[in-house]
Amino acid sequence: MKYFVHFRFTLLAALVTLLLPLLVGSGSLATEVLIFALAALGCNLLLGYTGLLSFGQGIFFGIGSYTTGLALLRLQAPLLPSLLLAMLIGAAVALLVGWFAIRQRGTYFVMLTLAFAQMFYFLAYTMKDLTGGDNGLLDVPRPNLSLFGHTMLATTSPWQYYSFVAIVFVLVFWLLQRVVDSVLGRTLLAVRDNETRAAAVGYDITLLKLTAFVISGAVTGLAGGLHAMMTGVAPLSNIEYHTSEAILIMTVIGGTGNLFASVLGASFYVLIGNWLSTLWPRWLMLLGFLLIGVSLYLHKGLFGVAQALLRKFGVRPAADIADTTSVKEQHP
Amino acid sequence: MSKPTPILSARHVSKRYGKFTAVNDISLDILPGTVHSVIGPNGAGKTTLFHTLTGSTAISAGSILVEGEEVAHLPGYKRVRKGLARSFQITSLFPNLSVRENLRLAAQGTRPLQALNPWRRPERLRAACDSAEQLLVRLNLQAVAERLAAELSHGQQRRLEVGMAMAGQPKVIFLDEPTSGMGIDDIGDMKRLIHSLRDTTTVLLIEHNMDIVMDISDQITVMQQGQILAQGKPAEIRSDERVRRAYLGSMITGGKA
Repeated sequence: MKYFVHFRFTLLAALVTLLLPLLVGSGSLATEVLIFALAALGCNLLLGYTGLLSFGQGIFFGIGSYTTGLALLRLQAPLLPSLLLAMLIGAAVALLVGWFAIRQRGTYFVMLTLAFAQMFYFLAYTMKDLTGGDNGLLDVPRPNLSLFGHTMLATTSPWQYYSFVAIVFVLVFWLLQRVVDSVLGRTLLAVRDNETRAAAVGYDITLLKLTAFVISGAVTGLAGGLHAMMTGVAPLSNIEYHTSEAILIMTVIGGTGNLFASVLGASFYVLIGNWLSTLWPRWLMLLGFLLIGVSLYLHKGLFGVAQALLRKFGVRPAADIADTTSVKEQHP
Repeated sequence: MSKPTPILSARHVSKRYGKFTAVNDISLDILPGTVHSVIGPNGAGKTTLFHTLTGSTAISAGSILVEGEEVAHLPGYKRVRKGLARSFQITSLFPNLSVRENLRLAAQGTRPLQALNPWRRPERLRAACDSAEQLLVRLNLQAVAERLAAELSHGQQRRLEVGMAMAGQPKVIFLDEPTSGMGIDDIGDMKRLIHSLRDTTTVLLIEHNMDIVMDISDQITVMQQGQILAQGKPAEIRSDERVRRAYLGSMITGGKA
C-alpha cells in the first residue's frame, strides 16, 4: 500500500499511455501528446515546485530539436545517444539562461527569460548553416532502437514510434516524481513558498533554483529531440516564443504543483486543439477563454477539477504535499 | 575572575542607506548562555542591527565575529552554518506547507548540501525529522502538526516562527519581537519558551514588552538613532538617568520602578 502511494501518479501516467491509442486515431497525434506532456512536466517543476514563471521553455525545446537533428544528420549517431545529447545540451543552455535570470526575482526574472527566448530565436534564425534558418533542419531520420547491433524496437510507423516515446515518457515521469518527492523536491517547495525564510534557515536559493532549471532544461530538451524525430524536421517554430507560450499554457491549464496535472494539461491542449481546429479556425480564442477561467476560478487547473469530481463521487484522493489548496502569498 | 569570551562580537558595525545611517558604529559583545535584549524606540535601528548580524543585509563597515571567526563577508545562508539563526518581526513561514514540514525544512537547513539530493526521500533523513518532532512538543504544536502554517492562529504562528530559528540548534538565536501582536495568554507561553532557550543557546532579543525584557534578560542594550545609548543589567538600565529621560520613565520600566 505504501508503495502504491509513492507510485500512484506514475501508474496513472502509464495508464494514459495505454489509453491514448484507444482514444486517438492517429499515432502522431498520440505521440505529440506525450512529447508536450514531457515539456509541460519540465515547466511544472519550475512553476509549480520552485515558483519560477519561465517564458524560456521554448529555448530548451528548440535546442533539443536542433541537437537531436544535427546528431542524427551530421554525426549519424544512434537513437539514444542523440536524445541524450539533446538532454545534455538542454541542461547546459538552461544552466546558462538560469545563471543570469535567477539573479532577478519576480517580474524581472520573467522579463529576462523572455529576452533570452527572443535572443535564442534570432540566433537560430541567423545561424542558417547549423539550423537551416527559416526552413528548419530537414530530413531528420528516425533510427530504430538498437542495442549491440540488435534492433530492440522499430520506430518506422507512427504507432511503433509512439511505443518508444511512451516508454521514455513513463520512465521520465517516474524519475521526475521521484525528484519532486525527494529531499530536493521538498526543499524546492520551501523556495517556492518563501525565499526569505528558506535563505534564513540556511539554503542556497540560487543553487536550488539553478538545479531545478537544469533538470527542467534536460527534460524539455529531450521532448524537443523526440519532436524532431516525430516530424522529421527541426523547425524554427520549435524555438519560437510561441512554443514557450504553449508549454506554459498547458502547464497552467493542467494545474501546477502536481506532475500528473501537466499530463492532463498537455493532453487537453493537444487533443482539444486538434479537434477544434478542424471545426473552427479561430479555436485559439476558446483556449484564451479557458485560460481566463482557470486564472479566475480554477487555480488548481484541470487536475483540481478532476479532484473535485472524484470527491463528489465519494473518492478521497490522498493528500499531496505540494498541493496548494489555497495558495497564500506571503510578502516578507 | 576572567571574563568569558563572547560568542558573538560586533566591532564598529555601521549600515548606511545612501546618506542615512541606520546603524552607526555599534560595538557589542554577546556572552554565551545569556539572554541579551536590544531595546529602543521605533526606528532606533534594532531590526537593521539584526539584519546586519544575521546577514540579511551586508554591512557598510565594521566586522562581525562568531567565536572569533570573521563572518561579515558571508551571506545570510552561510552564517546559519556558523551557528546563527533568526526569527522575523513579521511572521515568515512556509505558508502552504504543514507545520511539521516547516520545522523539518528548518532543521535540515544546517546541512544544506543534503537538500540537493534528488533521490533520497526526506523521511530517510532521521536527524531533521526527529528535531521537528521534538520541536512540535516543545512549541506545543503537536495538535496542529499536519495543518498548513497559513491556517494557524496568530499566536501559534509566532511560536512556529521562533521554532524555525530553534530548529537548526543554533549557537546564537536572534528573536525579533517574538511577541508582536500576541494576546496576553500567548505572551506568557512565549516568555517561558524564550527563557528556556538559555539552557542550550545564546539569545539575542528585540522586544517592546518591558515585562519580558526586565524579567528574563541578563544584559540589555538600549539603542537610539542607530547608536548605543546605554548598556547593562536590567536593574542598571531601569535606574539609568539617560534611559529614563529618553523614554519618559514608565514606558521603559513597565511601571515597576
